[in-house]
Amino acid sequence: MTQLHMPDVNWIILAVVQALLMLLFVPLATGFSRVLRARMHSRRGPGLLQDYRDIVKLLRRQSVAPANAGMIFRIMPWVLIVTMLLVAMALPTLTQTSPFPISGDVITDIYLLAIFRFFFALAGIDSNSMFSGLGGARELTLGVLVEPIFVLSIFIMALVVGSTDLGYISQGMLTEIWQHPVTVILAGIACAFAVFVEMGKLPFDAAEAEQELQEGPVTEYSGSGLAMVKLGLGLKQLVVAQLFLAIFIPWGKAATLGLPALILAAVVLLIKLVVVFFLAGLVENSMARVRFLNTSRLTWSAFSFAGLALAFYIVGL
Amino acid sequence: MMNPLDLLALSIVCYLLASLVALLGNKKEIPVYCSGVIGAIGGVVGVISAAFALAGSTPLMTTLASPFYFAKLTINMDELAAFMVMVISLIMVASSVYSLQYIKEYQGKGDWGICFFLNLFVASMVVLVVVDNAFYFIVFFEMMSLASYFLVLVDQNQKSVKAGLQYFFIAHAGSVLIMISFFMLYRASGSLSFSSFSHLALPSWEASVIFLLAFFGFGAKAGMITLHGWLPQAHPAAPSHASALMSGVMVKIGIFGIIKVGLVFLGGTHAWWGYVVLAFGAISSVLGVMYALAEHDIKRLLAYHTVENVGIILMGVGIALIGTATGHPVFAALGLLGALYHLLNHAVFKGLLFLGAGSIIYRTHTKDMEKMGGLGKLMPYTAIAFLIGTMAISALPPLNGFVSEWFIYQSLFGMSRQGDLSMTIAGPIGVVMLAITGALACMCFVKVYGICFSGAPRTQKTSEAKEVGWPMVVSCGFLALLCIILGVGSPWISPVISHIATMTLSATPIIVASGAALHPVSTTQAILSTPVIAIALIVLILVPVVILMAFKGHRLHDRSLGDPWSCGYAYEPRMSISASGFTQPLRFMFAPIYRIRVLLDPSGWMSRLLNVVTQGATRIEPVFDGYLVRPCCRGALALSRWISRMQGGDLRIYGLYIVIVLVVLLFVPFELGVK
Repeated sequence: MTQLHMPDVNWIILAVVQALLMLLFVPLATGFSRVLRARMHSRRGPGLLQDYRDIVKLLRRQSVAPANAGMIFRIMPWVLIVTMLLVAMALPTLTQTSPFPISGDVITDIYLLAIFRFFFALAGIDSNSMFSGLGGARELTLGVLVEPIFVLSIFIMALVVGSTDLGYISQGMLTEIWQHPVTVILAGIACAFAVFVEMGKLPFDAAEAEQELQEGPVTEYSGSGLAMVKLGLGLKQLVVAQLFLAIFIPWGKAATLGLPALILAAVVLLIKLVVVFFLAGLVENSMARVRFLNTSRLTWSAFSFAGLALAFYIVGL
Repeated sequence: MMNPLDLLALSIVCYLLASLVALLGNKKEIPVYCSGVIGAIGGVVGVISAAFALAGSTPLMTTLASPFYFAKLTINMDELAAFMVMVISLIMVASSVYSLQYIKEYQGKGDWGICFFLNLFVASMVVLVVVDNAFYFIVFFEMMSLASYFLVLVDQNQKSVKAGLQYFFIAHAGSVLIMISFFMLYRASGSLSFSSFSHLALPSWEASVIFLLAFFGFGAKAGMITLHGWLPQAHPAAPSHASALMSGVMVKIGIFGIIKVGLVFLGGTHAWWGYVVLAFGAISSVLGVMYALAEHDIKRLLAYHTVENVGIILMGVGIALIGTATGHPVFAALGLLGALYHLLNHAVFKGLLFLGAGSIIYRTHTKDMEKMGGLGKLMPYTAIAFLIGTMAISALPPLNGFVSEWFIYQSLFGMSRQGDLSMTIAGPIGVVMLAITGALACMCFVKVYGICFSGAPRTQKTSEAKEVGWPMVVSCGFLALLCIILGVGSPWISPVISHIATMTLSATPIIVASGAALHPVSTTQAILSTPVIAIALIVLILVPVVILMAFKGHRLHDRSLGDPWSCGYAYEPRMSISASGFTQPLRFMFAPIYRIRVLLDPSGWMSRLLNVVTQGATRIEPVFDGYLVRPCCRGALALSRWISRMQGGDLRIYGLYIVIVLVVLLFVPFELGVK
């Protein structure tokens, strides 16, 4: 491993381009989830591009906030997009190392996700509606339950490879998985669970609920504000999914910065993402919703997977 | 360049002067005001002194005349002491400026007393950290405890008196332990001076006993879990700018003591000390924040967060102890760097949050968060400063809390990679605890900011609140700015603190920064650059701007209108989430942890113990009576009754007595007299 340093201009350009591309493909990813859901419900449902149409339409609309809502309510959509773009820049998705390692430290990434959560929940309270306040409380409670799983599983991978840099973990995984196969698989299961929750999928997201539980903190957003929130939430889904892919399924990435290699890597990435979203959608739509207060039981069992992974790491498997 | 020691003396003189001036202020306003100004000047001079001391390389030591032959008054301003002076002085500047307006709240209710004790309190802390003698250390330690005890009593109601009493007892129980450990060191070294305490060849058990005594003694001052009971009582009872100093600075004296005894005097020779400190730190951090979540008194909540942050700092100290004992100076230095950095950061953001809470209380006259709300619009400057403080304490990048926690994460990572079994187990557990703490702190501060500043005011009184005056806004703003500087400027500040850490450990220097980037020594392990993250976050704002511009169409301006949606019912202001409602799911899920709070609170079992003792005493008392006092009495009575038989009342018997006595006397004196 060469030493980590400030990225040069080429890498920064790649990082920005990859982040913007991700933002561009957000409506496609969420649209794919909608199509999948409709098919599983035996409905015809909207087309694949429906979310593009929705977002463009919403962007042209006025944003109306409740009279009591304050500054946080206004800046939240911006914060969502900006923090997720920063994480997106660091993801080693097309290349083997992170194009922007400054925000590519796993600990930094986890705390950047925390900024997202902090403002998302805070905006819920700020909109002064009971439902969005409750939604904010639930979002944060989930965070408390999931973060230890997420951190421990990623930390174990960092220990296996010997670096907390996302790019190096991804690169090291290509060889190290054969050193600690059981550890990696168990950590992968735990991390997949955490990612599933972080993607805001059922049964951990109450978005489809009846009137007592609307879309959590999103309830009061409208017009362009809503469009931005939707983009931000979708971007987060893409980002955490790719975070998982970068760490646990690092094969098929470009070794050099040439265009053909990058395009090939993009195709591979697309396939991986389709599989991830397909599986996530499959699980999401085939699961019954559990009572929110019981989610801790489920997360404890996922945490035990991460704990097992640690045990196997210590044993050396 | 002036000698830092002269400046330090000047700053202490300022504090003493400020406290004397305050004495004149009974029922007068101007002396109290002057006292605040002089205190602030003292703080500024203290900051300059510490800065010079840290910049210079010559050891700063001097011996002053001491009235006691057994204790030399040696002043030793080494790197660690200078760092502590910096922390104390920075918060003192903010608190003093803040007090210029805030003290009006206490006009006629002991405002001069607050100024008097506050300056004395700070002066004793400053002297305490630079003094190099166990005797004077304890004298000033007591002075600090006493002065702060009076600050806790300011409100003079039953609650504050009770809190003060509990504080008084625990502080003194702690100082007894510290004294014993110092006496043991004295016994071994033959001198009370600190410089003689290091490099002693102590037997292993003795060193461990000294360490544990000092750890629990100073731990009581630091407010770590199991010895924290006084903290959430005492800190909220004091005036807010005093709470800022107590929570931000005074508890750090406890940490300072643990570092001093464990790492400097005893040289961190046993790894298990480190594991003990790490375990106490991890448990304190998680439980501290859990209990904070359940609070809705804003100052009590902040006080519990002090327990949490002390835990995080202790984790760093524990790592340093483990690393020193096992011969891994690199992660030891990283751990201590994280601990010291967090010590400074916590002082800054906790100071800010307490001052912010004070501003709210100054306007709303309540500590109950359920009665606040909507203050973001009514007190906008305070709200922004407070928001920065909440983000910093939740460890959100690129602010300061994140940087120090990142170092602690990295040192835990370094520790886990050493291949030693216990380290490989302890490291990831520490990481998980830190992660849970982070997520809980995030939740807790969303609650604090959200309930106090967001939405609509919950009571009439709150809706009449307005922005506080410039002294309070400026001091909050100053600390908020420091939060940003200490975070974004980390590549330039970390080397200074890592120098302090390695000097304290007497280890070889480590390189943690190159250019604008931070590395945990190893350049392949990780990289962090908070300035670049800050710039990137600002530049990326362009993206949403461009999106909004590109799809502008005929969009009208943003509008704030109407009530939130309430399922078609008429909206009422009461339909917003409450502080206790916000944390209800978590309190349900972690109910057992809230249950053990009762078990862990020493005041509970201490009072039970006291009951047992008094009950035992009452039970033992009759035993004494029955078997000792009563038989004696009975015997005496029987004897006297028996003797009284002689007194028959018959004259003839008395005559007989006289004859018997005469006969006896006839023989006895003869015997004696002839010889």
